[in-house]
This record gives sequence, structure tokens and C-alpha cells, in this order.
Amino acid sequence: MLHIENVSKDLGEFKLDKINLDIKNGEYLVIIGPTGAGKTILLETVAGVYPPDSGKVFLNEKEITYEPPKCRNITMVYQDYMLFPHLNVEQNIGFGLKNRKETKEKIEKKVREVAELFNISHLLHRYPDTLSGGEQQRVAISRAIILEPSVLLLDEPLSALDGQTRNRLRKELKRLHSMFKTTIIHITHNFEEVFSLADRVAVMNEGRIIQVGEPDEVFRRPNSEFIANFVGVENLFRGMCINDGNRSYIDVNGIQIVSSLCPIGEEVYASVRPEEILISREPLNASARNSFKGAIENIVDNGTVVRMSVNVGIPFVVVLTRQGFSEMDLYEGDLVCITFKASSVHVF
Amino acid sequence: MTEIRPDWLKIITISASLILTAFILSLLLLVVSHPSPEAILSSLMSEEIQFAIFLSLATSVVSTLLCILIAVPAAYALARYNFFGKNFVNMMLDMPLALPPLVAGVGLLLLFGTTPFGKALADIGLVFVFTPLGIIAAQFFVNLPFMLRIMRSTFESISPRYEYVAKTLGCNDFQAVWRVTFPMAANGFLAGSVITWSKGIGEFGAALLVAGAIRMQTETLPISLFLNMSCGKLELAISAATILIVISVVSLYIFERYGGAARF
Repeated sequence: MLHIENVSKDLGEFKLDKINLDIKNGEYLVIIGPTGAGKTILLETVAGVYPPDSGKVFLNEKEITYEPPKCRNITMVYQDYMLFPHLNVEQNIGFGLKNRKETKEKIEKKVREVAELFNISHLLHRYPDTLSGGEQQRVAISRAIILEPSVLLLDEPLSALDGQTRNRLRKELKRLHSMFKTTIIHITHNFEEVFSLADRVAVMNEGRIIQVGEPDEVFRRPNSEFIANFVGVENLFRGMCINDGNRSYIDVNGIQIVSSLCPIGEEVYASVRPEEILISREPLNASARNSFKGAIENIVDNGTVVRMSVNVGIPFVVVLTRQGFSEMDLYEGDLVCITFKASSVHVF
Repeated sequence: MTEIRPDWLKIITISASLILTAFILSLLLLVVSHPSPEAILSSLMSEEIQFAIFLSLATSVVSTLLCILIAVPAAYALARYNFFGKNFVNMMLDMPLALPPLVAGVGLLLLFGTTPFGKALADIGLVFVFTPLGIIAAQFFVNLPFMLRIMRSTFESISPRYEYVAKTLGCNDFQAVWRVTFPMAANGFLAGSVITWSKGIGEFGAALLVAGAIRMQTETLPISLFLNMSCGKLELAISAATILIVISVVSLYIFERYGGAARF
């Protein structure tokens, strides 16, 4: 277990302010937060790049606050790879083992195994500047994972990659984690990475950790306005994806949300943007696949738009324009229908 | 129909650069083409020029090594760390660049000739005044900023995160620098060494004051140029100049080719 206790560090531009955090062995923790929140310093402090100004860090009950990085067995991957340009892929991946004075044969064998795992065996003799971004990041992750670290730190590992490569590598990270059960701390701006990878998520702002919890908890019950604004995901649900023969839907506490895109048999997160939900007094006879009936629980007038919470068994947030709202003459407690297309359901 | 308006700004500025180029090129050609090739060849074979070549090479190589030894760690510190008085240190280390070499020479002469420190060095056999050792000291002092500035900008261009990663992969602080940062700084190191060496070979003012201009004793190529010019032996003077030109051209090429992020 990684235990971070009251850690503070001031680097001028960035700082950590009394950080407390526990990460269980084998856990995948994702940290999100705006730029400048201190996420990278937190990782660098855990890695031992610099000592904290105050506070303590424990790894498996042993205090490592002032241990040099090499004695921690914690490895790190940066967004921009940081592959050593003067070494080829094989030497980059084997760098850590060479430092551990392993035999040449053992290094070679292990490098091949790891390279195989990441499908980069054909690149072993290339130099980093000849590789694509996705390939470079695979090499960087291989270089970090080959030491079988107690904790693997990933600092926005997918942010520099294009969409498709990012999705592929995200799946590889997931596979990697389930294979090795490595404890991982992963920084990102990308909410999909949170939902697809995280066991727990921590939100950071201005050097502090503001909330830690399971993704749906943090996203659905943000403990502060900052998080609510920052995560900005409404109508977020978690459920099992089921196919009953003629359609596939996500079962959320008995409510069936139809979505053609969901992976059958998997637990997924789904969200629907409030603007994409239609509200009506009578059921709409439209092609939209999702229609539910429920009572308006509350109405908030924001000036230009009106937000309503409608409980259809699970709460939905619906947004209406001011004009639409006054034309419909709605009040709290009214029974209404909400309708949205299957394609409006965002699954991740 | 659009009127084709001449771009005067472009024409004037490009002309200025071309005129300057022609000027420099003509000076170089004038020097190397002045005597006949046979005369240059025979002077190159003369004992005096051979001595000057040897002395220039020996002193400049030693002073460059000394510059490397001091400037590389200092440049690393200035690129990586913040410490009290860093701005002052930066300014002082660049000082020899702004200082006229003759003034540097006077300072060195006073240091080695009049202070207890200089006398103590002389007592253990390290005599700097009017010896080749003085040439080395002069070259070292005047050229240190070149190596320092080039290495500083080279180290600054290398993200410290490479070292962080190396440390998480099992390096201690020194190993991280040695195995990652230094190899990545290799081009800047080469460029800096070549420029420092080439400036060392050409060093005249400070060396003249500390080591004097003594024929066949402290006669480096520039000193030889000076001595022979002043007593009218044009062939010898110009063959020394020709060698200096060749060295400058080659080192400038190496600097531009491998300099990379390195800047003065």
C-alpha cells in the first residue's frame, strides 16, 4: 500500500498542500484536475525526484520519504515519453535492468518478453526518433513495467496521442493492469480514461486533493462546486449492458436505457447530455428509443435556460430554453415524459 | 493590372548581408593568395612555424581540457539549479568575454608575478610568467566563457525529466547525468570544445602579456604572425595566418554542423 501523509511541496509555480492519499496494492487510481493543480509534482514526489517540504510517504509500511528514487522501485512514464534518444528501443527498455546489474542474457530475454507483450518486438533495433507517438509510448511503458515496479506512475500517458492510438493504448493499459495487478497512479484530463481504467479517482485543484472515490460517486455526487463544474458530466449512469435478442440496453436499477453501441455483458458507464433530452406532457410518438415517465423533482431557473430534475426511477437532468419552459407551463411535481435517442447515449 | 512594386526593404537588407559576405571572403582570399604557394609551403616547413604549430596545438589542447573540466560542471549547475547569487555568478563567468584580453593579461600577470599565490606556484615549479604555462593560463581564462555558455544552453535544452526517469530506473544522481544527460549533450560538447579550442589557438592579447612574444619559446601561431609581420618576414607571417584561417573555417563548420541547440 502507498500511503501519502500530509505531504507539502512548494516549487513556486506549482505546489502540493498537505496531500493525504492511500492507494491499495493493485489499485488503479486516476488523478484528474486542471492544469497547474500539482498533479505532476505529486507523482514526482512519490517517485522521489525531490523530497517533500513536509509530510511522509510510506510504501508497504516502510517510510520512503527521503529514499532516493532508485531504492523505491517506483517507475514513471511521462506524456512526452522521455525515451533516451541515444539508445535504441532495446537499450531503452533494458536500461533499468542494466542498472540492476542483471546478466546480458537475462536482460535480453526479459526485454523480448515485454516487447512481445506490447507488440513492439519489430522495433527493438530502431531509435526513438524514428517511432510514432504510440510506439514511443509503448516503449516508455515497457521500460517502466519491465522492472515490475511496486507502483507505476503515468503522467498523462495518452494525452499526446491521436484519438485512435489513444483508444488502443488505453485498452492495452487496462490489459496490462489486469495481467500484472501493478498499482498504478495515472494522471489525465480525459474523463473516458477515468471511467474505463480507474478503480478510484482523485480530483486535484490548487495543490490539494478535493475528492477521492469511485468514478460514479465522484462524478455524480461531487462534494464541491469546483468538481461539479470541472467534471461537468450530468445524467451519468452505471449499469450492465444486456442484449435481449432484438435490442441492446443498459440496465440501470431496472431502468432500461437503449443504446446500440454498448458492449454486451460488460459493466459500463453511460451519460446523456441534458440538452438532448426532450420533455413532454404526453408520450412522444417518435423514432427515439428511450422514453420514460416521471415527476419533476425540482426546477432551477438559470436565466437563459431552465434546468429540471425528473425522477423516472433514476434522476435525469433536463434543460429547456426559457421560452420553451414558459410555453409548457411546468411545475414541480408535474408528471412528464422524457425522450431521447439511442444515439444520444454516450457509453464509456 | 497589378503594379509590380520593388520590395526595397528586402533589397537593401539582403544587399547589406551580401556586401558583408563579400568583404569577409575577400579578406580571407587576400591573405591566402598573397604569397606564392611554394613560399607558403617552404615556410610551413621552417623550424619556426613548425614550433609555433606544435606550441599552439599543445597549449590550446591543454587549455581546452581545463575549460571542459571547469565549465561543464559549472554550466550544469547554472542550467539546473537555483542558488543564492546565481545571477552574479552568471555575469562573472561571462565577464572574460566582455573584458579586453589585454586587461585579462595584466590581471594574470599580476596574479602570477606579484602575489604570494603566484610565488607559491613558482616555488613548486609552475612558472607562468614568460613560459608556455602562461599561454595556457591566458587561453583558459579568456576562452572559458565559450565552453560555459555553449554547455549551459545545451544543458538547458535537455529536459531534467530525462534524469528523473533515469533515476526511477535505478540510477543515482551522478549516473543519471553520466548515462543520460551527457550523451544527450554530446553534440553541444563537441561544438563547444571545438570553438574553445579554435579560440585558444587564436588567443593573442592575454597570452602576449603573460607569456611575452619570445621567438622559439612562447611563439604560438598568432605570436609568430605578430613577430614576423613586425620584422618584415611576410611569408612566415602569412603562412601562420593561413593555418589560423583553415582552423577557423573547419571549427566554424563543425560548430554549425553539430551545434544543435548550443548557442553562445
